[in-house]
Amino acid sequence: MQVPPLVQELIQATNEEAVLWRPEDLMLYEYDALSSRRPPEAVVFPATTQQVAAVVKVAARHHCPVIPRGAGTGLSGGAVALEGGVVVSLARMNQILEIDLENQRARVQPGVVNQDLSLAVADAGYYYAPDPSSQKACTLGGNVAENSGGPHTLAYGVTTNHVLGLEVVLPDGCVIRTGARYWDRPGYDLTGFIVGSEGTLGIVTEIVVRLMRLPEAVKTLLAIYDSVADATATVAAITAHGITPAALEMMDGLMLRAIEAATHAGYPLDAAAVLLIELEGLREAVEEEADSITAVCGAHRARQVRVARRAEERELLWRGRKNAFGAIGRLTPSFYVQDGVIPRTRLPQMLDYIAGVERRYGLRIGNVFHAGDGNLHPLIMFDSRDAQQVRHAVKAAEEIMGKCVELGGSITGEHGVGIEKNELMPLIFSEEDLAVMRKLKQVFNPQNLLNPGKVLPSGKMCGEVRVQVSLGS
Amino acid sequence: MATATQAGVAKLASIVGEARVLTDAASCQACAVHGRVPRCVVFAPSAGQAAQVLQCAAEQDLAVIPRRNGTKIETGNPPRRYDVALSLKEMNQVWYYEPDDLVISVEAGMKWGDLQHFLSRRGLWVPLDPPGGDKASVGGCAAAGASGPLRLRYGTLRDMVLGMTMATTEGKVVKTGGRVVKNVAGYDLAKLLIGSWGTLGVITEVTLKLFPRPPQTRTYAAAVASLEEARQLRRRLLESPLAPQRMVLLDSTTARLAGAALFGDERFQVWIEAAGSERVLRRYDAELSGWLPKAHSLGVNESNWASLADYPALWLGAWRGAAVLKASLPVAATETFIGQAEEEARASEARLACIGMTAVGVVRLALAASLPPDRLASLIERLRTQAVQLGGSLIVERCPADVREHVDAWGPPGDDLQMMRRMKQAWDPKGILSPGRFVGGI
Repeated sequence: MQVPPLVQELIQATNEEAVLWRPEDLMLYEYDALSSRRPPEAVVFPATTQQVAAVVKVAARHHCPVIPRGAGTGLSGGAVALEGGVVVSLARMNQILEIDLENQRARVQPGVVNQDLSLAVADAGYYYAPDPSSQKACTLGGNVAENSGGPHTLAYGVTTNHVLGLEVVLPDGCVIRTGARYWDRPGYDLTGFIVGSEGTLGIVTEIVVRLMRLPEAVKTLLAIYDSVADATATVAAITAHGITPAALEMMDGLMLRAIEAATHAGYPLDAAAVLLIELEGLREAVEEEADSITAVCGAHRARQVRVARRAEERELLWRGRKNAFGAIGRLTPSFYVQDGVIPRTRLPQMLDYIAGVERRYGLRIGNVFHAGDGNLHPLIMFDSRDAQQVRHAVKAAEEIMGKCVELGGSITGEHGVGIEKNELMPLIFSEEDLAVMRKLKQVFNPQNLLNPGKVLPSGKMCGEVRVQVSLGS
Repeated sequence: MATATQAGVAKLASIVGEARVLTDAASCQACAVHGRVPRCVVFAPSAGQAAQVLQCAAEQDLAVIPRRNGTKIETGNPPRRYDVALSLKEMNQVWYYEPDDLVISVEAGMKWGDLQHFLSRRGLWVPLDPPGGDKASVGGCAAAGASGPLRLRYGTLRDMVLGMTMATTEGKVVKTGGRVVKNVAGYDLAKLLIGSWGTLGVITEVTLKLFPRPPQTRTYAAAVASLEEARQLRRRLLESPLAPQRMVLLDSTTARLAGAALFGDERFQVWIEAAGSERVLRRYDAELSGWLPKAHSLGVNESNWASLADYPALWLGAWRGAAVLKASLPVAATETFIGQAEEEARASEARLACIGMTAVGVVRLALAASLPPDRLASLIERLRTQAVQLGGSLIVERCPADVREHVDAWGPPGDDLQMMRRMKQAWDPKGILSPGRFVGGI
């Protein structure tokens, strides 16, 4: 097979081992955790910032889209080569460059796996706080692109609250450094603007993150309920009482049973819902908060509040939660996970609404989500071989999104917009809001060669059709 | 030119009404920035009208500086030109308040003190103690990225702002973020506006995350004999499980100005404020008494912290004509920097006062000297060089006009200046918003 000129140049910019281009090699790179689209023309694995810059320049010469990619665990299609092009995988740039404990900083390459950073500093008593459920696989570069969250971001904030500085390759191949190793550097906060921009402004090649001290005490509670409404009312009451747990997660009965079958985490099989609550901090504060939370749960008819006694028990409770999306394979051939956010006071209302949607479309919907920040993850179960079910799943998801917006919420709390929700952006932003975003995107990405078709609505295809195409494939 | 400007002013009056445009000398003089006096003061009653004023100003090529009480207006370089002071004084309403959800949206002109007072009725607060204290405005604090010692525990506005509305020079009112605590839909324009010092757009509404006020607080004050001792203390605190709300290292002059008694001949005092229940505070009592053998309360309370928050008033009241500086540094370099600053000041026979938020990497300094302006400026530059060599930066928050001619407010920009300029160009193509006041001449 003849090596295409684009590929030849990419090899020159890197080396032979760093470029995949044969169709059979590209197949792995036509999808991420949302959907599968089409294979890129090539996948490049640069080893240095200079190689990233060289690759970007080659692509620009060929007027070819560039799609940055981490571990491909994204849930909104951000790493999918929508219009073909060159996928730039940062997987080989996976070095922790520097750990500076006195300043509570680490400098890392984008391909470092989220959990590996926490493991690297754990013995010294530190960790990196944002903990997406995919943290065993997802990369910090991907986290920066998506501004990822996770259960423990309730108390400590999401990725953007932990990133101080970046090295970024711009679409023209220029390399800039934004931010610093300290907060408050004078100038526009380009770091804060780039975090969460889903790979549409630049390719991040180095990240300065904040490390945090591991807490002295951790307590994990499992509150068990016979009704979903009581569980959601508890969440609202905990917020209103001003208690901010480190994590406050909810799982409904359907999900509990699926997870229990898969993980044997010790969840009660007959419950309607549970809250998984984690408290961290000073021993005295944790004990007091545990008492107040137990009282709030009791006042909202929790059947039982269990406290994990040992680290293994805690670990098991969390393993169940973090493997929830995997466990659902026991229930359904396909599922569509949503990522809406609502004000926490509206949780009872919202869960009622979701139950109504479930009945209306005859599709099962499981709920496992970050209750403490009102970030829902309804899992709509369907069979992708049944065209009507696919249509209904998409309709159901849209109605749930619409309700989130109506209640004053957002269409995505942590999974990103990507190609999944870009056509839904007008639900929460006016044409004028979007026009400013477009203009600012152009400042960084004037040719629209970097990750085209993501975040902003294209107006080319209505969202429903796009999502169906991806779910149905 | 004068007639063109008069015509422009008349157009502004047609947007907000004549009563909201002041052109008398006293009103304009009161809004002067670094000696530059605007031609008029315009009061915007709403975000929409603020946007129309900006659009009109852009069409007429009138330079605008947004303001409220001017608590931070002296920070920054002198404007290249200045025609319109855009006051947000009338925009002080609460637009959305969901106390059970811990979220509030307020207009940018609301005073910080009024916001906190409003929230205190439900036992809530925004845990931020910005310079300027109660008189600072919500929008001004956001535009300046202002923060104080409370950031040790709670972070800064960067971490607390959930959404924002701003008026652009194209005459649009643009929204970013939302009213929920977690949201990644679209580009985060609020990050750009926070700390942009009024050069991109005018912040008109801010949505904030709220926190419950802690049930009790307690401040521990102790004498610190040397910077080495201060360094050990800071390390020990950051490595401990304790999470106090605030910690500052003060020289004895500043401690005295802030109303604290002195132990005797100490060089520095450290104040550590813990928050929580009685049981939690007892833990602090036990731990800190071991670390700070000479600690006692010295009666340091909320009012001392409040005077410290208004440090420019504190210092300038005592040392007229002092320069007020802020260094931002890696935490580990803070004590070293204070030591170097002391040496430089001593060599130039200048007096130095400091508030070191050493556990978060911010050191505020006051520098007073009977030096000629250019020599004081070069002393500031030497301190800046040291901050930069230690991996940080230094900005001039206040200084006498004749000194300012010799020293840039922000210091050297980085290799992202080009992108910052292009950002500015995208937001404000005519360059009418606070022209010349920001980093790199933006």
